[in-house]
Amino acid sequence: MSQADHTVTLALPGLAAGGSAAPARGPRVFGPRALLALSWLAPVLLVLVWEILAQTGYVTPQVLPAPSKVVRTAWRLATIGSLPHDLGTSLLRAAVGFVLGGSIAFVLGILVGFSRLAEALIDRSVQMVRAIPFLALLPLVIVWFGVGEGQKIFLVALGVAFPIYINTTLGIRQVDGKLLELGRVQGLSTWQMITRIILPGALPSILTGVRYSLATAWLALVVAETIGAQAGIGFLAMDAREFLRTDVVVLTIVIYALIGVVADSIARLLERRLLAWHPNFGGAAR
Amino acid sequence: MTAALQDVPAQDAPAAVRVFGLRRAYGPRVVIDRLDLTIRRGEFVALLGESGCGKTTLLRALAGLDPIDGGRIEAPKRPAVVFQEPRLLPWDSLWRNVALGLPAEGAREKAAAALAEVGLGGRLDDWPRNLSGGQAQRVALARALVQQPELLLLDEPFAALDALTRIRMHVLVKDLVARHRPGVLLVTHDVEEAIALADRILVMRGGAIAAEHRPSVPGLPAATRATLLAELGVVDDLKSA
Repeated sequence: MSQADHTVTLALPGLAAGGSAAPARGPRVFGPRALLALSWLAPVLLVLVWEILAQTGYVTPQVLPAPSKVVRTAWRLATIGSLPHDLGTSLLRAAVGFVLGGSIAFVLGILVGFSRLAEALIDRSVQMVRAIPFLALLPLVIVWFGVGEGQKIFLVALGVAFPIYINTTLGIRQVDGKLLELGRVQGLSTWQMITRIILPGALPSILTGVRYSLATAWLALVVAETIGAQAGIGFLAMDAREFLRTDVVVLTIVIYALIGVVADSIARLLERRLLAWHPNFGGAAR
Repeated sequence: MTAALQDVPAQDAPAAVRVFGLRRAYGPRVVIDRLDLTIRRGEFVALLGESGCGKTTLLRALAGLDPIDGGRIEAPKRPAVVFQEPRLLPWDSLWRNVALGLPAEGAREKAAAALAEVGLGGRLDDWPRNLSGGQAQRVALARALVQQPELLLLDEPFAALDALTRIRMHVLVKDLVARHRPGVLLVTHDVEEAIALADRILVMRGGAIAAEHRPSVPGLPAATRATLLAELGVVDDLKSA
């Protein structure tokens, strides 16, 4: 994933892209329900074909196990295996990294958004570091933190920080100057200006940053966990690879995808809740 | 409505704003030059002028939004302003918009009363995006009046509205001003609007007040109208064409 495209965009690239179906436009030959059903046609067919090819032996289990086999493996690992523990470990890493990186970036973004002095002091350095694809720092991060939890959390935090920083700064800068003028006319204090006008005005952009950073957090975690982890989804995948357990490997990929979709849904729910006033978000089917 | 005619502001009413020798320049271009102006409490003053004559610049100076380069303004600390656009906060409900800048205590009640006054009493918790242009401008008016201003500055607030809505707004504004009695400065380019609303009409030209009329007291609106159009250079243009 390129680091250069962390601008404001509502389309979410990367892992969670499967969750954001584009709204259907054009002549209404099909109703919305029919279109929704149709949108599931291709994925369902694909899984069916995959199942049939695997069952009939055209695809060997070492290459790609049948979907039904993956489901059975999931059930077994979840009930008697270590799946819940691994999942919990991964989620905790993602959450801690997200909160750490996100809050630091949010504070920096607010400072730079409000103050030209802070921008002069901070922004160039951040932009320079941002030019580095954060995954390229991995060898250095391992030297610094070893292969423990610190390395994983740091990498997640780093990946999360840039989208949130940039979108917070941008959101604050894009607040309508006419509304700021209104705030002055109404005699608002600086604090009221920030809480009543600037932050609400910047919120759509900030939430876009949050949504983008969720995908980045997940990507960072996948990479971090494949190196020297003792638990977690990534560890499960690497461990399974050693024993050619492709069913477990496929399962971990599916889990990563599912969590990406869930994270994206949470972000979109937040948008709908917090941006109910916004014509592009509130209530509108997305 | 009729109240406005009954008590035309007395000459000795306290001044809502006084301007002495005001000067404002953008670089070498002088927009306002040695301008004097007094508006009394309860007086409705319309300011006419061609676009670019400095009338909005004057209003912004009175509102404290722009600095001045010379002269003196004696204005209340916080005049209320209604802009050409409603400038409602899209993320706040109507009553929160009206209460913007009020102390929190009793804010909802005051906002409710102000919204009722502009005919939107039942829509306290509605959102700005559900409003028509005229309704949004009524909320902006309520937001200005809820501050109990001594001076109300109106910057072409009806310019973007359709003709019928504009007439309804004229009636409403005249009524509200008669009840709250702030000094009003209405910046407009609409001669009819000025005649319909103002106690006193000022024509601005060359950065200062060039002419003054009192349409509501004796004279004929038609005569005033013709004079005003001539002063604004409209009639001359038509004759020469």
